Formats: sequence, C-alpha cells, structure tokens
Amino acid sequence: MKGLVSGAAAILLVSFALLFTNYQLEHKAGGAGKDTITVYNWGEYIDPDLLKQFEEREGIKVIYETFDSNEGMMGKIEQGGTSYDLSVPSEYAVQMMEDRELLIPLDFSKIPNIKNIDPYFMNLPFDTDNTYSIPYFWGTLGIAYNPSLLEGQTFESWESLWDASLRQKLILVDSAREVIGVALNSYGYSLNSTSLQQLKEATDKLETMGPNVKAVIGDEVTQLMINNEASVALTWSGQAADMISENEDIDYIVPEEGSNLWFDNIVIPKTAKNIEGAYKFINFMLEPEVAAQNAEYVGYSTPNKEALAFMDEETVTDERFYPNEEARENLEVYENLGLETLGVYNELFLKFKMGLR
Amino acid sequence: MGKLSNLPKIYLAVVFLILYTPIFYLIYYSFNSGGGMSNFESFTLEHYQAVFQDTRLLIIVMNTVIIALLSALLSTTIGVIGALAIYFMRNKSMRQTILSLNNILIVSPDVIIGASFLILFTLIGVKLGFASVLISHIAFSIPIVVIMVLPKLQEMSTTLVDAALDLGASRKDVLTRVVLPYIKPGIFAGFFLALTYSLDDFAVTFFVTGNGFSTLSVEIYSMARTGITLTINALSGLIFVITMVLVLGYYMIGSRKVDQGVKR
Repeated sequence: MKGLVSGAAAILLVSFALLFTNYQLEHKAGGAGKDTITVYNWGEYIDPDLLKQFEEREGIKVIYETFDSNEGMMGKIEQGGTSYDLSVPSEYAVQMMEDRELLIPLDFSKIPNIKNIDPYFMNLPFDTDNTYSIPYFWGTLGIAYNPSLLEGQTFESWESLWDASLRQKLILVDSAREVIGVALNSYGYSLNSTSLQQLKEATDKLETMGPNVKAVIGDEVTQLMINNEASVALTWSGQAADMISENEDIDYIVPEEGSNLWFDNIVIPKTAKNIEGAYKFINFMLEPEVAAQNAEYVGYSTPNKEALAFMDEETVTDERFYPNEEARENLEVYENLGLETLGVYNELFLKFKMGLR
Repeated sequence: MGKLSNLPKIYLAVVFLILYTPIFYLIYYSFNSGGGMSNFESFTLEHYQAVFQDTRLLIIVMNTVIIALLSALLSTTIGVIGALAIYFMRNKSMRQTILSLNNILIVSPDVIIGASFLILFTLIGVKLGFASVLISHIAFSIPIVVIMVLPKLQEMSTTLVDAALDLGASRKDVLTRVVLPYIKPGIFAGFFLALTYSLDDFAVTFFVTGNGFSTLSVEIYSMARTGITLTINALSGLIFVITMVLVLGYYMIGSRKVDQGVKR
C-alpha cells in the first residue's frame, strides 16, 4: 500500500514539474501581451521564424496548430469547441466552408497588403471577388519523374502515361478528380466536365492505362520517389518540389494539354475570437519580404508578386513551378460540381481502382 | 543437443532484429546532414539542436507525457476501484452485465470513441484542449485497467480475506493490507498499459485536440503532406534513449530489492 501511494505521489510530482516547465516555456516563447491568435494550418506549412517575428512586432502571441486534411480541419471547425482565428483550406474546401457558412467575409481595408497579390490569382471561380479567402500558396498537377530510372521517356503530353514502356511503373494519386482529370485533359475536355458522355470516354481510356499503374497512394509517394523506389508519379507541384529538394535526379513537368491549378487559401473561420489579430496576421504574411521567406522555407509557389523580387532568381524563373503566362492559359481551377456529379466522379474512380490487376 | 538449443536463440535474435531494425534505421538517419531518409551524407547533430530550439515541439512532447502520466494515474485509481466493485458484487447477472459493458469499450474502435467524445464535449460546451484530451484518455484507459486487475483478484483465494477478518482485521485493513498488496502486480501492469495506450493514441486524440493543444502523434501525422523532417527522427531517437534508460533503471532498482530480500 505504501509503495502504491508513494508511486502515485511521485507521478503527480513529475506531472506538475512538467506542467510548470511547459508554462515557463510557453511564456518565454510568447512575448509580452495577453493578446493571442490561434492559427490552424497544414503541418510544416509556415516558417516558424515568421511566427516569432510576428509575435515580436505586434505583441500578439501565436498559438499554432496543424491539420493533415481539409476534411479533418472542416470537421473540427464545424463541430465547434475550438477558437481558430485563421485556417488554410484548399480551394474546393473554401467553397464547401462557404456553403456551410463557416467563414467570415474579409474586410480588405484591414489588409492593405492585398495589393501585393498577383491579380492573376484573384477573383477565381471558387471564391469570386475573394469575399472569404486570399491565396496562400498555389501550384499545378503534373508528372514527377526520375530520368535516371527510365529509358529516355518524356512527358510533354498526358498521352505518354499510356506508353507501354511504363508498364507497372506509374504511381497515381488516390483522388478521383485528379486521376479522371488526366484522361479528360488528354482529350482536351474541361476538368470541370459534367457531361456523362465525356466522363465515360475518359474512364474507358483510363482503364487501358491499368497495366501501367503500379499503385494508387497518397502522400507516401514523396518518400518513394526520393528513395528511388518509384520512377513516375502523378503528383502536385508542391510535393514535386519536396521530392526535387531531396533527390536532384527527379524532374517535374506539366503536360501541354493543360492541367489543374490549385490553391491553399487563408480564411477567417466563424470560430474566430480575435478577428483584429487575424487581420494583422494576414497582412503580415502578405508583406513581400515575409511571403518570400515563407515561400523559400515551404518550397511551394507564392502568389505574392512583390515577394518574387526577394527570392532566389533561380527559384522564380523555374518554369516548372512558376509557369509563364502562356503555359498558365491551359490551367484550370476546380469548380464545385455539386454532390451529385462528385458522386459520379467518385464512383467511376472506384470502378477504375477495382479494375486494377 | 547443442545445435537444438541454439535454434531458439537464433529465432529470438531474428525476431528482435526485425522489431528493432526500423527504430535503428530511423535513429541512424537522424544524424544525416543530407536532410532526407536516403543517401547518408555526413554526420551531424543539427537535427538534435533543432529539437531543443523548437519550443512548440518541446511543449507538445511534454503535453503528451503529462497527459499520459495523469491519465494513467487517474484511470488506474478509478479502474482498481471498479475492479474491486465488480469482484465483490453479490448479484451475479449484474456482475456479468457490467463486465460485458467494460469489454465492449475495449473492443469498440477508437474512431467511434473519439467521435462520440467530440460530439459530447461540444454538446456540453467543454472547450477542446488539455481537459478534453485528459478526460477521454482516462475514459478509454479505465476498461484496460479493470481487465488487468480483475484476474489478479479472482486468482486471490477468498480464504485470505476470511482469515484476515477472523483475526480481527477491520474492512479497511483487509483492503490495504491484504487485497491491495496481493493485486499490486496487476495494478502496475494496468498502469503501464494505460500509460502506453495514452502515449501512442492517435485516433481518439485526433478528435478531441484543439485550440493549440496537440499531442505528438497528432502533430507528426499532420506533417504527412509536406513531409516529415529529420527533427522528428532526432526526437524519436531521444525518446528511445530515455525509455531505455528508464527501463534499465527500473530493472536495476528491481534487482537490487531482490538482492536485499535474499540477504535478510
């Protein structure tokens, strides 16, 4: 009995000692004020140094929390019980959050730095007039490949993915619109096609790609490519940038027929408690130097036009990640197709996956 | 004969090799200056430095440990009381029912427990954060403790309690001097199991974290999209070493006690 009681006491003592150190750490990190904002962002999607800069400059402590999927993030915000002041959903998620009335309209008079954003990235179909969102990072969907593991294949066209020489080599991303989009693009159809005829043609064509498909997976593809365990993958430019930074053999290309243009966007969810602080943070992140530093850290493409001047010349002239205006012509942003059509996409994709091997 | 006795040793060695190789692989690359989990470039300690500079990560690690310790302690207390109550229950069908209800909680998927906690907390207005995580960890650990302690109680001869009562022990004495010392191994087993369950739980925690409070498993999982950095390797290495030291320390204390017992 004595042993049990002293054991319990020891555990309590250790816990409280840890709680105390935690408290100390938090306060040391937090700067002065009682003012705080809670930022809810993807993991590893901001330069932590910028959080410190912001805290020092504005005297607002940043509580930073991360999520791993749009759906998980929306669930947390919709369910309540949290007080996130800022979040960073992808473009389709912005639309969904808007439909569910989870967002607060932005007051541009409090975000003067909005002028730094390239007009090309404003007023996009998922949020016309940018009522609720400001682009944070953007990118494309394309093909990451490793020439050292291939026999000279190139990927200027989506058609090349059907080439017989890629048998059992291709890795697809586990997402309906992206994969069906490849076939739609190869026919020159819109990525937002709602025509059942076009979708059927696309999936019929996809099925003939079957023998080439090695796997349909998620984020694990980055590690596979880096470790030279895979040679060709359909992937987003952001992930491709991660791959290239770890393994210089890898290259990335957006086929000529066109592709998807994606965005992650800053929004203020309705759970926000410190809206003024959130505006200050958005404005801070849109400063050219800050946006440049952040883009260098994260490695994704920034929509901040003024920031490009502060970045590595080599990075911003890399047409793989900052395509010129001509190449941008063929890029298309996903529109919300409604539950019914999305259901069709998902069903067709599921059928395609079931038919593999 | 000699060959025959070598076989089990080889088997054991292979099993341990399979279990430990991934961990050592992870730790090996934590010293890689090359940034990734391939192409070991040269030796560096910069990732270990990064762990200690990243206050947010340190706070999350400590949160994880605090939650594990407190939830294990509280759930052990509640679980032991529960096991005692089930054991001393006279009504047999009632006992069976409660035991089944307990077992259902062990079997039911973490995702469901997590989701129902999220709904419950938001319904009654508990803010997601430290308290919500602690409460849910205590909740899912209690059934485990009960299941660890109950067999010890059942294996205890009832004559022990009767004898103690006959010899004039009060009910309190019976509990603190006979029953609890007897089931002590079960209590410890329950505590450590609850501790490990809490430390590595992802599914339940994922639902009930919020407002900047997060645990290590949730934090690492959210790095999936942009890639897990070698800082996490370094952190894993540190945690592995600390656990090893703790286990060795526990073992040394344990064996010293046994020695003293023999001398007496």
